Amino acid sequence: MTIDQFTKEFELARPQLKSYLLRITASVEDSEDLVQDTYIKASLKLDTFRAESTVKTWIFTIASNLAKDNLRAKKRWPETVTDICREKALSNPDYFPEIAQIMQSSPQAAFEIKEHVTFCLTCIAKSIPLEQQICLLLKEIYDFKISEVAEILESNEAMIKYYLHTGRTKMVDIYEGRCALINKNGTCHQCSELNGIFNPKQDFEVEKNKLEFAKKAEDPNREQLLDLRLQIMKDIDPFQSRGAALQLHHIQHNRKIMENFSEKESI
Amino acid sequence: MSNIASNGKAGTTKSTFSRQTAVSIDIQADKSIIWALLTNASDFPRWNSTVISIEGNIAAGQTIKLKAKLDPKRVFKLKIKEFESENRLVWGDAMGNRVYTLRSIGNNLTNFSMVEKIGGPLFPLFAKMIPSFDEAFEHYAKDLKTEAEKISSTK
Repeated sequence: MTIDQFTKEFELARPQLKSYLLRITASVEDSEDLVQDTYIKASLKLDTFRAESTVKTWIFTIASNLAKDNLRAKKRWPETVTDICREKALSNPDYFPEIAQIMQSSPQAAFEIKEHVTFCLTCIAKSIPLEQQICLLLKEIYDFKISEVAEILESNEAMIKYYLHTGRTKMVDIYEGRCALINKNGTCHQCSELNGIFNPKQDFEVEKNKLEFAKKAEDPNREQLLDLRLQIMKDIDPFQSRGAALQLHHIQHNRKIMENFSEKESI
Repeated sequence: MSNIASNGKAGTTKSTFSRQTAVSIDIQADKSIIWALLTNASDFPRWNSTVISIEGNIAAGQTIKLKAKLDPKRVFKLKIKEFESENRLVWGDAMGNRVYTLRSIGNNLTNFSMVEKIGGPLFPLFAKMIPSFDEAFEHYAKDLKTEAEKISSTK
């Protein structure tokens, strides 16, 4: 493969790669750096590519290894990340002026519940072990087969199935306990709260029912609700969506809070 | 282990100075899935109805703290005495050892066996105070089979 052919393939994969890295790192800067590092590393190793896998799988393998190195020393986030970051935002005098500035200056500042659901999923997924999070993203969001995920993580299919199963089970449990969209006793109402601030004229019940997983909240198949939630994430490019500027600000805010967060801190 | 029927039924043999309980079951899953379940300490309570918690790393030479439903007030400090990846795991203390064995028997089928032998010179003094393990062993094997087969069927 020539460098030109590779560059063409890389550019095709770039949007997905960048969104994948954003969802792993929760940092725009890190995701952009990692995309660039992946390109450079892959270009330098181009002669080692044997076409035993697709170029996209190979690119994601290099990117995943770089992301794992980037996150190695960082703690996983707690399940209550959105509660903790909400409190920090409310006590930060700069937070809302920053939001107001984004809303005035960016064409991508619409608040949509489905985008908040995706933001929330990104944050909650950072509370499960990294291997599980990576498997979940690669398989359920970026459409890799289990055999390809095994190749990317240099593992075997059985282990990937184990990571996927345990990751999914944990995500189902976390949402079951927290998300008021699917459980009347859920403790997190952040999407309705924010929708009330950004879209005061909207009827939240009407908007909520536009989300399949919320509409099916009574469905005993809780795994299916997770799938529907993941489908929303799959359909959204976090850099191109209508509310990208707003949601990226939220993600960066949470990442900053989590970098300084100690388990002993109370909210 | 060949003398244990692979039907998930536990059996106990007793002698004056020891007692041994064993269970064996065939599981439609790759050995690595079963091994992952048996060696991921913090994940145990999720799938194993006999375990309250396991603290520590299930790895060669490590010590774990296990709380079991059979005797919830006690914390068993156990040493990982053997750790042969995807084949054999042994943990135990001065009282005895528990031996887990995995054996591929073809067609994505794995035989799982679990044997615990406890005993020693003072065993006759407290033998009557130790509850039977049979029921817990059967639940353990059944839970492992259910969970491993569920994971194995992931598409």
